[in-house]
Amino acid sequence: MIRFKSVNKYYGDFHVLKDINLVINKGEVVVVIGPSGSGKSTMLRCINRLETISDGELTVNGVKVNDKNTNINELRRNIGMVFQHFNLYPHKTVLENITLAPTMVLKQSKEEAEKIAMYYLEKVGIPDKANSYPSQLSGGQQQRVAIARGLAMKPEIMLFDEPTSALDPEMIGEVLDVMKALAKEGMTMVVVTHEMGFAKEVADRIIFMDQGRILEEGKPADFYANPKEERARVFLSRILNH
Amino acid sequence: MDFAGALSADHLKFLADGFWVTLSIAFISILLSFIIGILLGTLRYAQIPVVSRVVAIYVETIRNMPLLLIIFFTFFALPEVGIKLTVTQAAITALTVFESAMLAEIVRGGLNSIDKGQIEAARSSGLTYIQTLWHIVMPQALRRMVPPIVSQFISLLKDTSLCVIIALPEFMHNAQIIYAQNVNYIIPIFILVAFMYFIVNYALSLVARRLESRQA
Repeated sequence: MIRFKSVNKYYGDFHVLKDINLVINKGEVVVVIGPSGSGKSTMLRCINRLETISDGELTVNGVKVNDKNTNINELRRNIGMVFQHFNLYPHKTVLENITLAPTMVLKQSKEEAEKIAMYYLEKVGIPDKANSYPSQLSGGQQQRVAIARGLAMKPEIMLFDEPTSALDPEMIGEVLDVMKALAKEGMTMVVVTHEMGFAKEVADRIIFMDQGRILEEGKPADFYANPKEERARVFLSRILNH
Repeated sequence: MDFAGALSADHLKFLADGFWVTLSIAFISILLSFIIGILLGTLRYAQIPVVSRVVAIYVETIRNMPLLLIIFFTFFALPEVGIKLTVTQAAITALTVFESAMLAEIVRGGLNSIDKGQIEAARSSGLTYIQTLWHIVMPQALRRMVPPIVSQFISLLKDTSLCVIIALPEFMHNAQIIYAQNVNYIIPIFILVAFMYFIVNYALSLVARRLESRQA
């Protein structure tokens, strides 16, 4: 479904992604971990072309993401994204946040979009906040709205860029619960996170990145119990000891 | 000093006419500048190759000219190339050219102040650049632009007095005609003129401050 073939990316002289080869299949939940600056967010953001690649080939459902003839807006409909800082629209209510893209992009009627929005708000557990503004919500609630916003487009793929890193510790659980439920329903998910509990419970595969390279990949149980790479071992011991 | 003579009913009527011209010219100019400023500011913000560059050059050139020069230009230089404007037209043109460059920068600043994360969120959901600009960036940016636009309007109201040099019958111009008749009129008229500018501009700055505090 998502295929990186010898993908490289540079920011000027800085080599951010080095020869990335990766295939993510339909229904798979892939967790990407690694130290900050390792290129994991950049790799994730390439998938919906928030970042462009310098060379190599990246396809989603067989469509070349960086091809000039690719209708990027059409491709993006199918790929939901959840950000570290939620990125809700502060001037719109929760309901308007969720219905904007379905009405604008999918041309749904307002009634239809609102019905779907309410369905997903139920699903993330905050239907009572439909008419609130983002600033009136806690971080955990905002992130759940952001997830509902992504889901309302009925995408085949959901990307999560450190979705719990900006949250107070007591709110992480509520967001992870929503993500776990989603994973169990068979959504294709690529998740950049340090949440090991989440990775162990629902990830099909862990990708460990360092300095722009994929150093190791494997099943979560194997990876956490017995990382092959020294760099991964050091990284794991550091995050586990905190 | 002759307060009674300076502020006779005829004189007050004449000054009121001038003040009305000042207000209307400033208002028309700010309105036109706002429309042009939105356009220029957005074009510069959007970083369209060539276009944004041309706008940037225009804005920076105008912003770094004295307004007086632009007024001279529209009134004295344009006729030389066959464009004859009345005093009023020349005044409005000069003020609009100048203010639109100022407002373009306010608009660009407002647009730039909107967090890039929201733009990414909108684009990643499949909205086009224009849809994102229209539904996400512009509404929030406009709200933030109101206070600086009001202060710009205050400057414009004061700067309209520069049009006295092309004999636009605005407030300062009419005041000048009155105090030129009699030296004893000078101080009373100056006091009145200062008072009028102050009242209107201070009221506007209070409005601006209120709008600002409502946002915070």
